[in-house]
Amino acid sequence: MSKTKRKVKKKDFNPEILVFCCNWCSYAGADLAGVSRFQYPPNMRIVRVMCSGRVDPSFVLKALKEGADGVLITGCHIGDCHYISGNEYTRDRFQKLHQFIIKQLGINGKRVRLEWVSASEGKRFAELITEFTNQIKELGPFKVL
Amino acid sequence: MKNITESKSGSKKELERKKLFSDAFKYLDKVYEPNLRNILKRCYQCGRCSGVCQVSKVQKFTPSKIIQLILEGFEDRVIESGVLWDCLTCNQCLKDCPEQINFADLVRMARYKMRHEADQNPSEMVAHKGIYTTISELMSRPYIEPDRNLDWIPKECKITDKGDTLYYVGCIPYFNFEFENLDNIASSTLKIMCQLEEEPIVVFKEESCCGHDLYWGQGKIKTFIKLAMKNIEMFEKAGISTIVTACAECYRTFKIDYPNIFDDFNEKFKVKHLIEYVYEKWKQNKIAFKNPNEDDKVIPFTYHDPCRLSRFLPNDNNITEKVREIFKEFKKLGYEFNEMLHNKENSLCCGVSSWMNCNEKTKALRYKRMLEAKEAGEIMVTSCPKCNIHLSCIQNDFENIASIKIMDFSEFLVDHIEVIKDEDNLEGKV
Ligand code: SF4
Ligand code: SF4
Ligand code: FES
Repeated sequence: MSKTKRKVKKKDFNPEILVFCCNWCSYAGADLAGVSRFQYPPNMRIVRVMCSGRVDPSFVLKALKEGADGVLITGCHIGDCHYISGNEYTRDRFQKLHQFIIKQLGINGKRVRLEWVSASEGKRFAELITEFTNQIKELGPFKVL
Repeated sequence: MKNITESKSGSKKELERKKLFSDAFKYLDKVYEPNLRNILKRCYQCGRCSGVCQVSKVQKFTPSKIIQLILEGFEDRVIESGVLWDCLTCNQCLKDCPEQINFADLVRMARYKMRHEADQNPSEMVAHKGIYTTISELMSRPYIEPDRNLDWIPKECKITDKGDTLYYVGCIPYFNFEFENLDNIASSTLKIMCQLEEEPIVVFKEESCCGHDLYWGQGKIKTFIKLAMKNIEMFEKAGISTIVTACAECYRTFKIDYPNIFDDFNEKFKVKHLIEYVYEKWKQNKIAFKNPNEDDKVIPFTYHDPCRLSRFLPNDNNITEKVREIFKEFKKLGYEFNEMLHNKENSLCCGVSSWMNCNEKTKALRYKRMLEAKEAGEIMVTSCPKCNIHLSCIQNDFENIASIKIMDFSEFLVDHIEVIKDEDNLEGKV
């Protein structure tokens, strides 16, 4: 992620948001949002992974380290994971990531979020991104030296 | 609640830090020699280092050959090949080198070069996907103000944020992410300390990492300097004069690496490992050792010397002897101290240093160490939380070594310490 010209003022602050989408549900959901022409802010970059279980907590930390202002992880709803229990592991891991690392580093927990989005929820995906972007805008930049 | 990271234009504190960091790089020269040849010139190729090298036992790795290549001018080839990521920085070779060539130090500088000049990134080699080194790096940023969990503090202990004696906890609270029961090390240490100090002990909520892993393992010397500055600033603000730690790596970093960069660090702060701390109090007749459970059974135990507390300290240091003196005293308490085959300065490496090189080959080293431990006793005491983590991990893979109980020095001691009140002391003298 680029470290160029970071605007500090809130009103023209364009956050950089990293979104991990699982291939089977959330990515299809994002696709649907695009096909159905739902509008959402263009601040995010999607990384497609085969399953939300692929997202290691260290990816999140690295994203924050490299300058992301917020990280969103999306996967299939619990019970729908195409690898049966990938998203359950993710859920447990993220609970721990928040409790032991994000919080103890003094990073606002709202910057890292885990959500379930299914392939049919195009509208929800758009809403989620809008809401998350606004939230990050509210929080301001996660500064980079 | 307003968090420092959330402010709009950077809080005052953050700006101060940025200013502080702006001259961080001028310290680089003190711990970095761009021409690696210069520190190797005395080598006369006796080959001892390759003979004793601990990784050479499990893979092809010959320090003396690497040194010769650099001396002959092939430094760039060595850097490019990336072989130096394999060294464990265990310092066994320094111990046996007749010319005192510090190969581990060379590796540390070479890693900086490999990262910054040859653009190598060893991220696949860092254990746990680099989560712990990333945490350290994040902590070096001026806008990060850690907010550490203090739930592990025993109820009877009083802590403050300004005072004389500091207990530097280290990364233990972050390790709870994946490992269990490490809090116990911190709470035992604090329990020992607060029985002995009259004033409340300082424990920081915003403590940063000491930077050891970035310095030795990752070749991120600049980040290390920033962390050091952040820490020193924190110590100075709180008016600390004594730093006690239960971690071998923190100890070595504060004792030697910080003073290498900041000349007056040693004058300002006294650094003690828990072993030294307990030893001193014991010699001053402030504590005695007792056994809470009256059992006739004699329990054999052994001690694993972390490299950072044996080979990594100057020769006049005698922590290895001090800890053994304490253990001798334990004979009266129904414990029997046995040495492992390799002990003190020759002790085997736990196989992973700075989260680098956790692989099948170094697992063999760990397995070997555990076999030695099994021969020597039922309990293996160590004084490095990381040795503890790495050696406990191998126990999950092999049943035959699973029975050994690995304990930290603090955990081992905490129930066996009895504080001698001043009045008792006086009576004894009369
Ligand atoms: S032991 Fe020392 S002198 Fe001998 S080859 Fe190794 S570095 Fe050179
Ligand atoms: S520091 Fe240890 S692993 Fe590295 S070359 Fe020396 S003996 Fe081998
Ligand atoms: S496949 Fe979607 S979360 Fe596992």
